Amino acid sequence: MSGASEPLTPAPVPSRIRTVVTRGAWLFGLWIVLMQSAKPADLAVGALAAIGATWVSLRLLPPYTGHIRLLVLVALLPRFAWQSLRAGIDVALRAFSPSLPLRTGFVEYRTGFPRGQARNNFATITSLMPGTVPAGDGEHTIELHCLDVSQPIAVEMAEEERLLARALIPGESHE
Amino acid sequence: MSAVADVFSYIAIGAGAFFFLAGTVGLLRFPDTLTRLHALTKADNLGLGLVVLGLLPHVDGVLNGMKLVVIWLLVLLSGADAGQLIARAARRALRRHPPA
Repeated sequence: MSGASEPLTPAPVPSRIRTVVTRGAWLFGLWIVLMQSAKPADLAVGALAAIGATWVSLRLLPPYTGHIRLLVLVALLPRFAWQSLRAGIDVALRAFSPSLPLRTGFVEYRTGFPRGQARNNFATITSLMPGTVPAGDGEHTIELHCLDVSQPIAVEMAEEERLLARALIPGESHE
Repeated sequence: MSAVADVFSYIAIGAGAFFFLAGTVGLLRFPDTLTRLHALTKADNLGLGLVVLGLLPHVDGVLNGMKLVVIWLLVLLSGADAGQLIARAARRALRRHPPA
């Protein structure tokens, strides 16, 4: 469960070439999984699609110093699945209840993630948690829209952050 | 073995359909944009996940199974990201025009 076996060196900004090759390979792999064809014509189209997707990804998300520890994230998968189940049941109970029990409101959650990719990833993952949808952020806060503000939102988010801080490593500021 | 797989599939896909229904009921009954986003992002993601889980015992080949899981992950990611973008836009609109 622990990520202690992975090196803790502060990673330098990856070179553009390295980013292009890594992302291109991932995207081409994704194409192969989705298309499952070894015909040369299909592979050619897949290669073109991967090149286009890599180009778009470089425009939208330039190489950055932060990174994700995939193994730590994978180890957390059962927890995500459980949270996802809780979130779905929570919404279903509220939606089907005749009295429509909602106490909506905004909660400012103070986060240790600096603005940037790691915080975005954190927000995306926590948007699958019960009762919260990220709706904005400040310098040190994430603004959450909550279905029920009487729930211990900040406590649950802090627990989530503690676990995810080992998986989502922020880079230098790159805004 | 195949009977067990069938029962598992019925339960998982049935539960998935239930959560899709719950998401849709939430979309119709919840009062505003932000609240409706909860219904869609949580319930539908879970619904699709359960449908994929129920189909997995019946696919032939690891690659086909991976394809289903990848489709689920893509929907999960795009749903979570698009949901956040809509939430941020709705929040900004609320700041500009607070309800009377």
